[in-house]
Amino acid sequence: MKKQVLFSLALAGAMTMSTAVTAMAYDHEAIENSGDITITMMVSGTAYENDFETEQLPALIKEKWPNVTLEVTKLPDDNYYTSLKTKLASGECPDLILTQPMYAGQNSCYALAEAGYLASLNDLDTVAGRQDLNSVTYDGDVVTSTSGVSILGTYYNKDLFAQAGIESEPQTWDEFLEDCQKLQDAGIQPIVMGDKDQYVLQFGLYQIAANEIYPKNPDFDVQLRSGETHFTDEGTWDKVLEMYKTLYDNKYIDASKSLGYGASQAITDFIDGKAAMTFDGSFNAAALTAEGAAGPFERGYFPIPGTEGVYTATCLSAGYSIYSGSEYIDQCKEILDYWQDGSSPVWQAHLGTGRIIATYGEGADTAPNYELFKPFIDLLNEGKGFYWCNQAWPAGTETEMEVLFSEMVGGQGTEVEDIVEGMQEKFEDLLED
Amino acid sequence: MQPKKKRKGNTSLIFTNKMYVFLIPALAMFLVFWIYPVLQLFYYSITNFNGINYDYEFVGLKNYAKVLSNGTLSNSLKNTMIYAVFTVVLSNVIGMAVAMALNTRIRFKGLFRTCAYFPALFSAIVVGFIWSYVYMPGAGMIGNLLTLIGLDGSAFNPLGNYKTALYAIAIVEIWKGFGTTMIIYLAGLQTVDESLLEAGRIDGCTEWQLIRKIKLPLISATVTINVILSVIAGLKAFDYSFIMTNGGPGKSTKTLMFQVYETAFTDMKMGRASAFSVMAFAFIIIITVLMLFYLNKREVEL
Repeated sequence: MKKQVLFSLALAGAMTMSTAVTAMAYDHEAIENSGDITITMMVSGTAYENDFETEQLPALIKEKWPNVTLEVTKLPDDNYYTSLKTKLASGECPDLILTQPMYAGQNSCYALAEAGYLASLNDLDTVAGRQDLNSVTYDGDVVTSTSGVSILGTYYNKDLFAQAGIESEPQTWDEFLEDCQKLQDAGIQPIVMGDKDQYVLQFGLYQIAANEIYPKNPDFDVQLRSGETHFTDEGTWDKVLEMYKTLYDNKYIDASKSLGYGASQAITDFIDGKAAMTFDGSFNAAALTAEGAAGPFERGYFPIPGTEGVYTATCLSAGYSIYSGSEYIDQCKEILDYWQDGSSPVWQAHLGTGRIIATYGEGADTAPNYELFKPFIDLLNEGKGFYWCNQAWPAGTETEMEVLFSEMVGGQGTEVEDIVEGMQEKFEDLLED
Repeated sequence: MQPKKKRKGNTSLIFTNKMYVFLIPALAMFLVFWIYPVLQLFYYSITNFNGINYDYEFVGLKNYAKVLSNGTLSNSLKNTMIYAVFTVVLSNVIGMAVAMALNTRIRFKGLFRTCAYFPALFSAIVVGFIWSYVYMPGAGMIGNLLTLIGLDGSAFNPLGNYKTALYAIAIVEIWKGFGTTMIIYLAGLQTVDESLLEAGRIDGCTEWQLIRKIKLPLISATVTINVILSVIAGLKAFDYSFIMTNGGPGKSTKTLMFQVYETAFTDMKMGRASAFSVMAFAFIIIITVLMLFYLNKREVEL
């Protein structure tokens, strides 16, 4: 599969890749020249049976380098963030940590790099020549090694679509609304969302933003920081929010229920065949393709279409960074290069989990659920992909958006203008310090 | 006869000066793990520390001003007060009623006491998760029951409704906590001298008069303890807002502690969250001390 040019965002010229070309090579024999060593790693998530990070990865590293013991700790997200901060503050950070692109989350690679906690990965073999790493490049240094992308899209039940007489995926926003109406007329709940977990509001909103804001101004978020653009600008976020609100106004998403549903409950409803669509990410593909009370049915996955074309909200996945205070920086680089080389047993095992959508390497196009994701990959290849909005915002901006949007659809008198003003105010407040 | 010399300093033969040495380990632990972190909190509250980057600056009282002006304090304070009053009143009324019922001579008393205390044994996470499904519209336990009796179970959505969400999570707190309150009341009721009740009955007291005139005054210290513990727990409410509603819908279940958490870990404004904590800390102390004074005074009056 071709390597892809993913993102159009370039922050203030700070993210040039030139240093990657000129960087000094690291010691590729570092592990071989070490005695018995223990490398520590901390990631977030929930460990499952034969978990990749906690079980397969340490075993495969041991197989490759018998003198290396990889100790992996996997913590639920909130515990991970707290633990990471504590360990960074005490200078006892694990050698390898999970970080997210740009400003996303509390383990955002930009925030950690700015504080000097991340080692430069410019000399990794698997980074050389890649042009798609802008969102993990801080001040000229690639700081996160990642090989995959994450997608936001619309999972749908093909049987229910057929039942409502819908023959193909919608290509425009109007078609999408027509399909929702057909489903509703057929007595089928068009979309189910777990808005009690307010973060799921991002799943739909960012897809619409990818259609309505960034194609017209790919630098919208860069300009937000410089004050050239604002959330309150007409035809930008007001349009996005208004479009999404239409789905609630018409009861295609039933706010009276969705505000009491959690994300997992919405997934259950979808696989039980109680709703035709749900907005969710590629990261939840396993849960959304599992068999529920409705038995087996065929799923599809499409990006919400815009008023002037179809774009996709797709971003680089979270990846792995090396703690700058680690004793084993070169050894960690050897491990990352081996892992991300596109063919090693570690690469194959990681791909086999079905939890990453690789943009290169062997088996990338035969990974589980690849067929679902292919239309998005194709859009990316055509240059019609944009990152997830919150990655470019200071953490907390999206929370304000979610809270105010919930208030609006929950009938609290909040209007679209209040939301964009609230987002702008919060954005400026968070940037202030 | 010579006047007796007045001995200065510690005259105790049991608690000699050397005994103070044994206080040092406990004192050291207290200083390191309580006093020092609290002082750190005050320190961070005047900085713009974001929780990650230690290259922060001093911002004076700006964090305090921001907390007071941006509306987060007033909203979370209002929610916390409603939550606290609701849980304090109901958990104490239910706890006391159940304790009185289970302090009588009934069969299977032990079993009933165990059942009443049972919810207190689960962690808040487990309870919150289970109750999310109890409250779930349509397919939840209550929704199903409503459907069973011919009502619209899918319309039952207490966590998704702005007016009911806070009370819905407070009910979960009460359900989990009333067993503990009951146990303390039960212990208090068992200290009431049976002869006093007997004397009351001979004098012609009704059951209500026995409760009002004898039992309640005699367990007033227990009431004070229970109310104070419930007030503190109510003012520190965080678990169910976090687990069941994540502060929503909108901001309707954001409590003081939830807001501190969100400011620190979502907004990554550790300095501002510290200022928020200091103000919340002062608020809880003031409310608790006032309640304690009032209830102690009532104890004496009773």
